[in-house]
Amino acid sequence: MSETTQAIFTGDRCLSCTSCMANCPVMAAIKDYRGPKLVGPAHGRMHFSQEDIEATLEFCSNCKSCDRACPSGVAVSTLNMLQRAEYYKTHPHTQAEDMIAHGERAGKMVRMMPFGATFANIGMTVGKTLNIFDKLGLAGERDMPAYALTPFKDLFSRIKQTSGGKKIVMFTGCFINDNEPQVGEAFVKVMNANGYEVLIDKGFNCCGSPLVVTGYLDEARQHADNNADRILDWKRQGIPVVTPCTSCSLMLKEEYHELFGEDKFHEAAENVYDAFEFLEILQERGEFNSDLKPLNQKLLYHVPCHLKSQAIGLPAQDILEEFGAKVQTADAGCCGISGNYGFRKDKYDISMKIGAKLFERIKRKDFDKVISDCGTCRMQIHHGSGIKPCHPIEILAAAYSIRN
Amino acid sequence: MKISDVIVIGGGLAGFMAAAVAVDRGQKVSLLTYGSGSLPLASGAIDFFNAKAPDVAIKNLPAHHPYKKIGLKACDAAAKFFCDVTAKADLPYNGRLSAQIPIVTAVGTLKYSCLVPESMNASNLAAKKKIFVVEIKGLKDFYASMIADNLKKYFPDKTFSVAKLDLNLLGGRDITCMDAAQNLTGNEQILADGLKTLDAGNDDAIIIPPILGLDGNTSRAAIKSQLRAEIFETTCLPPSPPGIRLQRAFMNYLQKSGVRIFENSKVIRGVIDGKKITGVVVENAVREKIFRARKIILATGGFYSGGITMRDFDNPQEPIFDIPVFFPTGAENWSNQQLFSDKPQGFSMTGIFTNENLNPIDERGEILFENLHVVGANLGGCDKIFERSAGGIAISSAYKGAIL
Repeated sequence: MSETTQAIFTGDRCLSCTSCMANCPVMAAIKDYRGPKLVGPAHGRMHFSQEDIEATLEFCSNCKSCDRACPSGVAVSTLNMLQRAEYYKTHPHTQAEDMIAHGERAGKMVRMMPFGATFANIGMTVGKTLNIFDKLGLAGERDMPAYALTPFKDLFSRIKQTSGGKKIVMFTGCFINDNEPQVGEAFVKVMNANGYEVLIDKGFNCCGSPLVVTGYLDEARQHADNNADRILDWKRQGIPVVTPCTSCSLMLKEEYHELFGEDKFHEAAENVYDAFEFLEILQERGEFNSDLKPLNQKLLYHVPCHLKSQAIGLPAQDILEEFGAKVQTADAGCCGISGNYGFRKDKYDISMKIGAKLFERIKRKDFDKVISDCGTCRMQIHHGSGIKPCHPIEILAAAYSIRN
Repeated sequence: MKISDVIVIGGGLAGFMAAAVAVDRGQKVSLLTYGSGSLPLASGAIDFFNAKAPDVAIKNLPAHHPYKKIGLKACDAAAKFFCDVTAKADLPYNGRLSAQIPIVTAVGTLKYSCLVPESMNASNLAAKKKIFVVEIKGLKDFYASMIADNLKKYFPDKTFSVAKLDLNLLGGRDITCMDAAQNLTGNEQILADGLKTLDAGNDDAIIIPPILGLDGNTSRAAIKSQLRAEIFETTCLPPSPPGIRLQRAFMNYLQKSGVRIFENSKVIRGVIDGKKITGVVVENAVREKIFRARKIILATGGFYSGGITMRDFDNPQEPIFDIPVFFPTGAENWSNQQLFSDKPQGFSMTGIFTNENLNPIDERGEILFENLHVVGANLGGCDKIFERSAGGIAISSAYKGAIL
């Protein structure tokens, strides 16, 4: 397994065919970026000294369009991220980079103060007005994601579940925990309706995705080790780990192994499921609870890049359609935000340019709701189109609620 | 997961064409792709056969040739269907099977093809008085004087003029035709103004690299209407705008028609029930997923795309269904030492043999799978590069496989 999927072993398969270049949304948006082929597979293998840095490495957003375009199975974007980590071995991080990579840490600090979320949100609003984020090197045009008054992990303890039956562990992800706990609640409702008690493991860290893309690879490795150990522990107990965040699931299932190569990451990954992937497996086994209200809605579905990369089909679309929803895929490519990429001041314009086609599509408003499984995609869609999307699991949860 | 009427495996020209034909006939189609297919690397022209009248040549081929299994009727219908799809995407193509159309290559030779993008159709070149060849400042791999010198060998009586335009492309990376085309989209006037300074008249022609946009005919129309002279695009090195336009035209057609497209989905084997295939298994990073269908179209390509693999000499394999692969036995028949000679290469004949319904057959002529149809570069028995038949075989076998 290691030799075929660990990123550093895939570079030699590159034929320089340029398929990745033809599919790179960043290259299409800006001509400064030399493109995935030259940065990861070529420069990643051919540089001969620590000083030999490919200057346009910073432009890769890790959206993974190149990996999906590659006919030869080269883990192009992960090679880029490994290169980026090399760069930061000898170059300091900026304050903005430190902030956007450590959302989990900021969230924990906010929760330690009384009324921390309220004050932090006021602070962010004031900060935006005073242009402070811009001065820090962040995209001043954006609202920083507001903290939920109660994080999901605290809300969770108040949810009444019937225990004693089948169990899953929910990997909440930082965004759902700190910013969109309603997605977490919907997730629990749906899993309960399907006979699963949901457990939370407070020992999990942030999956590490924001750390990897910002070049904090050693920290990401610590997160990966901890999370993989916890997942393996649950695996031994026969309890799967399920997450409603597609970037978390991609990191846990695929990127840990691509980045770090140890077999344990692959063994842990076997116990990890994306939320709708898990539900579809239940459906195939005939264990899915079909007792829900018909979904008479027209939904526009932005399929996140990090879901496409997982090769699990489009389970949310299939399930929602089966219960009466009309689901149209947006087919407008990457939304442009790519996790924390679009929060960088110097990447904001690129991020918005990439998303322009999607925003145009959404502004046609020929649907009841926009759905997307990824938290940062939802943020970007809201910012770029003014329309607030929801997670597909919220649609499903509402249909169970009304029935019950 | 719902059962599709047809699953098409492969996202190249043959796979796109098969999916388009099937969905046009009201079928529920799923397209599984791994890598972006080789269209962005291709000229965009569809060669049928290297002969003055390809339809006559096809009639006279030996019985084992893929064209003889496909039949001329399906070839004609495929050409028509192909032109309909591209016309609907505002990417007009010219041509038919009974004649060849010249296009100018990036080195100034003429290449003949049956179906060519209207923007490259150089049929009228012979009737022009003066030919302007225009290169773009900063655009790599395009040398106007070399093109003019080589074209003089075909047209010694004509006047050639070489010009260089500055489209303000400099700054950032090396500029490919794809970059220039991207840059020109919505920004056509700068090129139109530059071309007007040539003062080319009604009887003249202008030859430019293929930079007239990446989507359909919009950029070309905006420029063409302002010029008196006829303007042609050449072919170019990849990434190739005419190939990208063709890929996008098909992709838009498939998406609008409701074909479900699953990227990054590597099929590893079939679910077999006697002589029927009831589904295919996609392997992702950690587990397998079954996609079910009533009919399967195999369009995974030849050696380049991994549709045929060969780990040991004399042992080529079709990796998904383990279909027997025809190849010339004996090392002396395997290759022809003269790479660019007047004889085909033995190894290029490698591929799958089928009956007239494009079902794969074994060495005794027995059908292996009744609901599997093999299309495109998987088909064996001819050197498609030598014959210049790859594009024609791709679209016409795909057409036939999809209508059966």
